[in-house]
Amino acid sequence: MAPLASDPLGLAIDTTFDDTSVAILRGKREVLANLTLSQFKDHEEFGGVVPERASRKHLEAIQPLLAQALTRAGVGFGELDYVAVSTVPGLLGSILVGLTVAKSLAYLLARPLIGINHIEAHPYANVLAHGELPFPALHLVAAGGHTLLIHQTGHFQWSIVGRSVDDAAGECVDKVAKMFGHAMPGGPAVDRLALTHAPAAHRFPRPMLNDPGLDFSFSGLKTAVLYYRRDHGGDLEEGPVLSAFFDAVIEVLIVKTLRAARRFRPKAVTVSGGLAASQKLRAAFEAAAAEAGLRLLYPPPELCTDNAAMVACLAAHRYAAGRFDDLTLDGRPNLLD
Amino acid sequence: MTHALAIDTTSDYLSLAVLKGERPAGSRYLPCGVKATQIVIQEIDGLLTGAGLTAHDLELIVVAVGPGSFTGTRIGMAAAATFGQVLARPVIGVDTLQLLAAQTEPAADVTFHALLNCARDEVYHAAYRWNGVPVALGPIAMTTFGELHRVVGEAPVVARRFDPAPANGEDPLSRFDPMPLRRPHPDAELLLELGLARYREHPAGPFPLPQPIYLKSEAFRKWRR
Repeated sequence: MAPLASDPLGLAIDTTFDDTSVAILRGKREVLANLTLSQFKDHEEFGGVVPERASRKHLEAIQPLLAQALTRAGVGFGELDYVAVSTVPGLLGSILVGLTVAKSLAYLLARPLIGINHIEAHPYANVLAHGELPFPALHLVAAGGHTLLIHQTGHFQWSIVGRSVDDAAGECVDKVAKMFGHAMPGGPAVDRLALTHAPAAHRFPRPMLNDPGLDFSFSGLKTAVLYYRRDHGGDLEEGPVLSAFFDAVIEVLIVKTLRAARRFRPKAVTVSGGLAASQKLRAAFEAAAAEAGLRLLYPPPELCTDNAAMVACLAAHRYAAGRFDDLTLDGRPNLLD
Repeated sequence: MTHALAIDTTSDYLSLAVLKGERPAGSRYLPCGVKATQIVIQEIDGLLTGAGLTAHDLELIVVAVGPGSFTGTRIGMAAAATFGQVLARPVIGVDTLQLLAAQTEPAADVTFHALLNCARDEVYHAAYRWNGVPVALGPIAMTTFGELHRVVGEAPVVARRFDPAPANGEDPLSRFDPMPLRRPHPDAELLLELGLARYREHPAGPFPLPQPIYLKSEAFRKWRR
């Protein structure tokens, strides 16, 4: 293996769910390419992601996307210093496509292979946007099937201090949006309506808000909207109802995050994951963080959703620390296994 | 002189073979279950090293494209496509029914069938005649065991099942007339033979990236050879 480069050029692949993403990063922050092929249209007719279809699409997309990323970055395979790939959590069949490609690349180029936890990578979108994280840091990751509070004391040193015990926040938003006929992902539609409509007078429940712990629950909130919609079918105004519903989601996220901040006293609080792209959520978090005297960081919207640039950013830190994997690296669907 | 690598991860076995200057230079046929991703690159490395080659010496990659395990097929194809892309070498795809048919070598006027069970009650099948390699007489099809006898009739077959035969009761594949086999397994050495034969038909290409064969439900209906 070649000696470690001081300003390494890394390639990262993310195929954990329904987006095929390839990024090329110089050093720890210079994104030379970050290309993501979304599969939303491919799954639209099913109302949700079909795992087998997602795996097939990754296989179709990955080689052209690699070629495009290299062209965009203006580099060749031979110039890469490491190859990184998300290996957990996600759809196993999808993960294995990216993992096999990454292993093949690492082997053929004789470069280090770096397996990345996709959830651990989400907060690193903030490193790309704002610079190195101050530690200790508290991260709210609201991404796809996960809503997590993560306490991080240093690179690679983190623990989950709160998590959703049932539906994730993003999952709840998607399902409620679907009740109102919005296509997946429902987050942008709910955010848009919540921004343009005052919330309905009805107050939806704030699940587990009175629980002193840091865990979340969103399944009951989804059911509350379902029943409200059933009981008010004909008279229902979508905008105000979704606005009131989204207020409940945001309040739970903020209250739990601030509670964790009081407990762990972080130097910064970050918000990442697809839901962090919501303008309404950002505005509410900004106001709450300012009042609590917390430094708040969130990435630009394009780095909130799944992307390989954040994977590359974490991998660059792993590269600098010499933390590599061997070619027997495996994928795992579950975060907590 | 051709150095080539063949990869088959379509079944519960990881099957690899390498050709060095026209001669077989090593192979693997390992039970791997669902762990093909874990071992495939390491085994390729061991195989190439044992043959005194590096990946960069390869001139051709041959890969099994299914039908078979959907996830397994993708693992082999993802590896093969990446080898082809990085090394700028052609990748030739061979379907698993032709691979199965290559286990035998009948007289040229014999029509025979390759059968591969894909689920408890369903089987992939295709008819072949031998002309240096098995030549398919029609597209790969999928049918139930109940219908299979009507399709195959009294023709000899070469058959494989992915999962063990039923513990109780007769294995439906055993009802057909089995052919003598020149090789015990439809392994990657046979895959190399078939890939090389196709490569020599059109050595100048073009070599479009092979596509996986998923024979089920709507994919089955839409797919044509």
